Amino acid sequence: MEKPVRIYQCENSPDGILSAVFEAGVSGYGHNYIKIQPLATDYIYNIELFSEYIKVETSGKKAENVLKTIESRISYEAYFFVMSVLLSEDEDRGNVIYQFVTYGFTIGPGVTKALQLECVARIFEIKRRVHNEAHFYKEFIRFHEVKKDPPVLMAGIEPKNRILTLVTAHFEDRFNAEYFIIYDKSHKEASFHSADGNCMIRILTQEEENRLDSLLDIDGKYPDLWKVFFEAIAVEERKNYKLQRGNLALHYRKYMTEFMENN
Amino acid sequence: MILELNSALSDKLRILSAAAKYDVACTSSGVSRKSKKGELGAAEAAGICHSFAADGRCVSLLKILFTNECIFNCKYCINRCSNDVPRTSFTPDEICQLTMEFYRRNYIEGLFLSSGVMQSPDYTMELICETLRKLRIEYKFNGYVHCKAIPGASPGLVEMAGWYADRMSVNLELPTEAGLRELAPNKTRKNILTPMRQIQAGMAESRAVLGMKGGNQSSYWYTQKRMGRSLPGSNESLESAARYTSSNITVENKDNNINENSITDVSIKTKGNVLAQWNRNDTSRGFVPAGQSTQIIIGATGESDYQILSVTEALYQKFDLKRVFYSAFVNVNNDSSLVVNGGQPPLHREHRLYQADWLLRYYGFAAGEILSENRPFFNTYLDPKCDWALGHMEYFPVEINTAPYNTLLRVPGIGIKSAGRIVNARKTGRLDFNSLKKMGVVLKRAIYFITCNGRMMYDFLKVEEDYITRNLVSGETDIVKGFGDNITYKQLTLFDDFQIGKI
Repeated sequence: MEKPVRIYQCENSPDGILSAVFEAGVSGYGHNYIKIQPLATDYIYNIELFSEYIKVETSGKKAENVLKTIESRISYEAYFFVMSVLLSEDEDRGNVIYQFVTYGFTIGPGVTKALQLECVARIFEIKRRVHNEAHFYKEFIRFHEVKKDPPVLMAGIEPKNRILTLVTAHFEDRFNAEYFIIYDKSHKEASFHSADGNCMIRILTQEEENRLDSLLDIDGKYPDLWKVFFEAIAVEERKNYKLQRGNLALHYRKYMTEFMENN
Repeated sequence: MILELNSALSDKLRILSAAAKYDVACTSSGVSRKSKKGELGAAEAAGICHSFAADGRCVSLLKILFTNECIFNCKYCINRCSNDVPRTSFTPDEICQLTMEFYRRNYIEGLFLSSGVMQSPDYTMELICETLRKLRIEYKFNGYVHCKAIPGASPGLVEMAGWYADRMSVNLELPTEAGLRELAPNKTRKNILTPMRQIQAGMAESRAVLGMKGGNQSSYWYTQKRMGRSLPGSNESLESAARYTSSNITVENKDNNINENSITDVSIKTKGNVLAQWNRNDTSRGFVPAGQSTQIIIGATGESDYQILSVTEALYQKFDLKRVFYSAFVNVNNDSSLVVNGGQPPLHREHRLYQADWLLRYYGFAAGEILSENRPFFNTYLDPKCDWALGHMEYFPVEINTAPYNTLLRVPGIGIKSAGRIVNARKTGRLDFNSLKKMGVVLKRAIYFITCNGRMMYDFLKVEEDYITRNLVSGETDIVKGFGDNITYKQLTLFDDFQIGKI
């Protein structure tokens, strides 16, 4: 039987998407006829003919409910997949999460391996991209000592996905006795870690942003020493810029000490 | 020789990192360690690259020499004592400060400390140990440390370094004893293999007493275990390695049979007390938890690829190495006695060796399967796995939906990751070519060797060595050309095919 597609429109946030998944799930309308559309403010949408539009109210409780159900009824791995995909900004992420969860309830824990299913392959792809990006930032992020006594380290990043939590967790462990700030310029948020182990992430005000922007290129003698090392370590006879670009894409280099011009 | 004793830190850093750059290993892998309260640093098992230099190689560790002064005169080395280059040394504190400050800024994952031989091997090794002690104890550095064991240093000092370091390495330098004698007159096979054996036995002892300490076994070990073969590194195979010493480490050099090539000479006990310094303050990291590696120079002497690969395999089997690195020879000294291929470093050969090395460590291949006495060099146009597959067409095509994991691994274009994904995915349903593509299978190579549900991807593909070779090597394959069923593959001739002769 043909029936109109229902499009659940929700807030462009993890809670919003999960609330839509909840509403779509309890409606029992049939997953082939359901789409989920997170409404980003900076994007223009086409309205589809013959579709029903349903606005979804964001509800923290419903979102939590969905996550708990995924973990208990499918597996922790499925929960991990969904959480990772929620960090991305892909427009179809609401849709694939809904599809993935629906399949998960029928197939069970094996759903995370069933890459022959379109939605699983897609969710796997997004998850991998998010974690790859987080990994690249663990590698390429560069701290500056912006203040002495006590020493404070700061780093700027411009990631495509919201990977600040993943990156911060990594440095929380290895820099446990340092004060540091990681500043995500593209999502206007920053994490702050203090030497006693406290850590928080917050959305920044315009004023705070300006303050952090002004700190981005301060440091002592070590950036220069690092550049000396970086230039000396390359073997002249093996020069291969193409390989270098393949391993370290240009868009990561913006905040990397060794690729910054001397002032 | 110019001695620059009081040069500025940045000059020292430039000289001593430039002098260390020919050492290939820059890995920070093999051990996973959480941070300690109040200390700086942690370690990740997979390792982390922090940058990529202009030559495309990863920069993971602060790779420096303690000093580039050297009493040895190895022909291939820029720091040999007969060279007139600026000489300088760090102080232990300078190295510690650089490491700490670079690490805090996330430039590096740790320290890679090597050194020229100043005064004597023991004197140099003492300096290295003192630096590492300071770094670990006074500066409270908990990140990754890779350090060299200087050939000829006394076992006590090698052990001390091993307690501070995560990974140690002794460079084999050249695949044969003859090559070593010719190019590195101050080093001997025995001097190199002795510390290697000592570290191996020390690691085994430390694991038995303290546990793995975040370290892991070598990938070669895991692969052999998966394939159900006897394992290097276990006590049993250590003993058997000591027993069966006739068939090992080096390929017999046919011109002059050199017995020193075998590891029989290395008479270090593999049982009992290799480690003596148990009453130290800190054994929390274990002894060399990230294992040991070595490096072989490629193309300075005339060994074949088969010889090099056989040595590599023997090193994995008998010495439980984590990695063997290959270094395409760069003739820094313009020494005319060294084999150089048109003045360029043999990068392509190095690349093929690494490909083959992966086949040994992850895919369960044996050196003898990849190359042989009769075919001692790699195919220039095909990677070793394709090359092997084309020589063994009797195994193909492989059915994706039923083939066991180890069979899938032998298919060109299917790697460790995609083979694992295939095996997991087919539990829930059948696979087709489209899903294979999404799993990361390189269909460009794989389609000639696989079927899905009994069919090849295109009907016109032939499971024939010549046909596949032609398609793999040429830039324009039959698939790109869109050939159908009625294609003929013979050479066209003007006279027969177009009946020009009749006119």
